[in-house]
Amino acid sequence: MGPLPRSLELFYDVLSPYSWLSFEVLCRYQNIWNIKLQLRPSLIAGIMKDSGNKPPALLPRKAQYLRQDIKLLRQHFQIPIQFPKDFISVILEKGSMSAMRFLTALSLEHPEMLEKVSRELWMRVWSRVRAGLWESSGRTLGDFLTLPRPPSRAIILPSPDEDITEPQSILAAAEKAGMTIEQAQGILEKISTPKVRNQLKETTEAACRYGAFGLPITVAHVDGQTHMLFGSDRMELLAYLLGEKWMGPVPPAMNARL
Amino acid sequence: MGPLPRSLELFYDVLSPYSWLSFEVLCRYQNIWNIKLQLRPSLIAGIMKDSVSCPLLKTRDDIKLLRQHFQIPIQFPKDFISVILEKGSMSAMRFLTALSLEHPEMLEKVSRELWMRVWSRAAEKAGMTIEQAQGILEKISTPKVRNQLKETTEAACRYGAFGLPITVAHVDGQTHMLFGSDRMELLAYLLGEKWMGPVPPAMNARL
Repeated sequence: MGPLPRSLELFYDVLSPYSWLSFEVLCRYQNIWNIKLQLRPSLIAGIMKDSGNKPPALLPRKAQYLRQDIKLLRQHFQIPIQFPKDFISVILEKGSMSAMRFLTALSLEHPEMLEKVSRELWMRVWSRVRAGLWESSGRTLGDFLTLPRPPSRAIILPSPDEDITEPQSILAAAEKAGMTIEQAQGILEKISTPKVRNQLKETTEAACRYGAFGLPITVAHVDGQTHMLFGSDRMELLAYLLGEKWMGPVPPAMNARL
Repeated sequence: MGPLPRSLELFYDVLSPYSWLSFEVLCRYQNIWNIKLQLRPSLIAGIMKDSVSCPLLKTRDDIKLLRQHFQIPIQFPKDFISVILEKGSMSAMRFLTALSLEHPEMLEKVSRELWMRVWSRAAEKAGMTIEQAQGILEKISTPKVRNQLKETTEAACRYGAFGLPITVAHVDGQTHMLFGSDRMELLAYLLGEKWMGPVPPAMNARL
């Protein structure tokens, strides 16, 4: 029996595009590196408030940079990420409380669905693509772009599909991820319970205690030490800390571990 | 004759630790990739004048890790607040600006020496003669040098900088601005070059 897998915690919010990038890279590497990936749905608004930081998009030059950065990273990371049409409304005004509570409830009741449903929620907000046509493992952006599309689906979908605040939106995401209506409704009913609300609060506070001033943060527990890495562009450094090999954001062998 | 080298501009300030990381990585790759690295001394204070919270205090742990990963002897200065926030870097950056006009061949070494002074306990000599150094020092308050620093800083702002370092890559008629020292792999992707980590094995692969 080999060495124990190293625990990695990913604190994320579906409002955060860079969280999506970290998420996909870590999901790709979870079957390559000797790690145990623990997904920690958090509230970026809570972290900003606690740290006194501000969303970068509020600074005009940062907002501009974000747009071009996301365009480049889309290709480099092979993730179909795109700025929502109605960015201000979706990201800055509506927020992600219900969605992150839903994911929190999932983490308590159906943790095995957490990865897929998280992805679906990102797809709603940060992509014009629907997950039925794209999955993280085994498909490249190039594959996606050449797939035939049913004529009834528009390539650019209007704003309502970017919503993640209405119950119907969250249910739609959950169903696309493979949950049954009953399962999804069952989870939805729990999102306002004290248990779920407290859990989200605690997870967000845990991120703050690790020193988060934004999301995503990846917390690596290695040889008795804890390292907090901020952002999606620290994966090579993470590999270095883990003593693992970095093969870029799209590693060739996504199922190298038996 | 092969394709023309792609022009990369690095806008930096010696007050910025991440600028040092970008600088060293690009210096290492300038003899490996088909690039022409152009150093652009700038004033971070001028870019962040609509300021904002000081992010530097969160970087202490980060710097410790990056030191090993990048193999650069970078350390938080003892009197951090004084050095970074109070003293600033105007003279140093004017000095480098003057160098860029008078002795551009010294720019890399002297920049490194200045980072070493602020961000390392290990200072080395940069190899300038006393006369050269004095000559440069006499020029740092001239309008020519002051204007050049101002123009370079403004150029960074026009590229969309909200901090430093920024690396501006001119590739196939397009211009890409990348912020931070952790975008080198993405830069390699844009250039169609191979990324071999922050400490590439063959630092003299190009003849």
